[in-house]
Amino acid sequence: MIFENMGFYFREALLSFRRSALMSMAAIISNTTILIIVGMFLLISVNSSLFLKNLESQLEIIVYLKDDISETEVNVLKDGIFGINGIKEVKFVSKEEAYQRLLKDLGGQRDIFNAIEVNPLPASFEIKVKDPKIIEQIANQLEKLKKIEEIEYGQDIVERLLNFTDIFRRVGILILALLVLASILIISNIIKITVYARRDEIEIMSLSGATHWFIKWPFVIEGFLQGFISAILAILILYKFYFFAINKVQQAVPFLPVVWDKIELWPIGAAIIVLGSLVGILGSMFSVGKYLNV
Amino acid sequence: MIRMFHVYKTYPNKILALHDINIHIRKGEFVFLVGPTGAGKTTFLRLIYRGTVPNKGQVIVNGINIARLKPSYIPYLRRNIGIVFQDFKLLYSRTVYENISFGLKAIGATNFEIREQVKKVLNLVGLESKKNVKPHLLSGGEQQKLCIARAIANEPLILLTDEPTGNLDPDTSWEIMQLLFHINIRGTTVIMASHDKLMVDKARKRVIRVERGRIIEDTQRGIY
Repeated sequence: MIFENMGFYFREALLSFRRSALMSMAAIISNTTILIIVGMFLLISVNSSLFLKNLESQLEIIVYLKDDISETEVNVLKDGIFGINGIKEVKFVSKEEAYQRLLKDLGGQRDIFNAIEVNPLPASFEIKVKDPKIIEQIANQLEKLKKIEEIEYGQDIVERLLNFTDIFRRVGILILALLVLASILIISNIIKITVYARRDEIEIMSLSGATHWFIKWPFVIEGFLQGFISAILAILILYKFYFFAINKVQQAVPFLPVVWDKIELWPIGAAIIVLGSLVGILGSMFSVGKYLNV
Repeated sequence: MIRMFHVYKTYPNKILALHDINIHIRKGEFVFLVGPTGAGKTTFLRLIYRGTVPNKGQVIVNGINIARLKPSYIPYLRRNIGIVFQDFKLLYSRTVYENISFGLKAIGATNFEIREQVKKVLNLVGLESKKNVKPHLLSGGEQQKLCIARAIANEPLILLTDEPTGNLDPDTSWEIMQLLFHINIRGTTVIMASHDKLMVDKARKRVIRVERGRIIEDTQRGIY
């Protein structure tokens, strides 16, 4: 029965689309606007989460080694560090390397060092961890290892930064939830208006003995088409806008990390399509249901 | 065909619409339902097509107890009932032909059946020459004929008409009445709610008088 009549449902949906072209257009424009806002927020949150990740990944533990450490002991120590859970990367910086870095950093002022004959800088390990939240725990474990002079990891900064990123993410999720809720309400209200305009048809069909699903199908298809078209339009507009905007941002702030990879942006497109279509379908179903009980 | 036993209906705003209604309408009868505005005529008709349910009592239509009818079966009850409204309820964006085919499609008729039935009923009501016209170009009488054509297109057992001559001049009204008699003679039970004294008196059919939700008179070959 359902597939037998699919042709009829589609014809009816398209007919209504054409007949109330102005109404459909208004609905599509409003839906597109809402979806663009949702999409913009998603793009901003993807980029800011990249930024936060970047910030967090720069956190590291520096382990300064005692001056009398031998090469074998360095290797033993390195193995020991790798034995700790949650270590991502360990880089050994020799005394000489540390000295060269310092010279480079000092630039024109390197003359100061001419007076010093021995290299005063210690060798060190620069350690990156998998999860910045357990940085303190790892530091505590490192302290138990031998031949270590000092451990440094900027405790306060880590704590403050982690707090900040945590709050930022939570607020983001909350805003996203509210935005999605608002878009569902607005889109389903727009659909309600289009269904209201055709309540006579619904009533006549119902009184003629049409089953509820027979009446609903054309509206569901129309709702889906409206949502889907709006989503595609929103994606096209966002696409143009996004690459234009990040270009500008990169020109202004070159070191700021932004998402260039289109593959990483696909989920956002998919989310917009799913949101638009699903709200279109469900909104139509519920709105028609209201006029069915005659 | 239609039986009501001790039917009471009160709307949520406490307005008593029907009070202890007992009635038996047989297959093939033609019945006038008369009474002042607000007497409960429309509620009476609504009970038959399950547009509403009684608060108390039983309504049996074609052997089906409408109060116990599951919502998913309502469409199948309605396929046996044609309804003509005073305010027409036509689809003005569709042609005469489409107004009739729309309802037939809704109950799953094939395209061949639809073509045949629409042709047949348009012939019956005399609108075959206007099948491609939109309803707003029809006269009041023609629009009412279209409503009747739509209501009988799937050959229902029962035809309910709510003041079908309400807005028409006497000649046109009588034409509509002739049409309804014709449909009745072919076997359809017709119930017509009406204010039209002239038509009721001329027809001399069964008259059920409702006042303030009660049946106060029920006469064969009655007058208004």
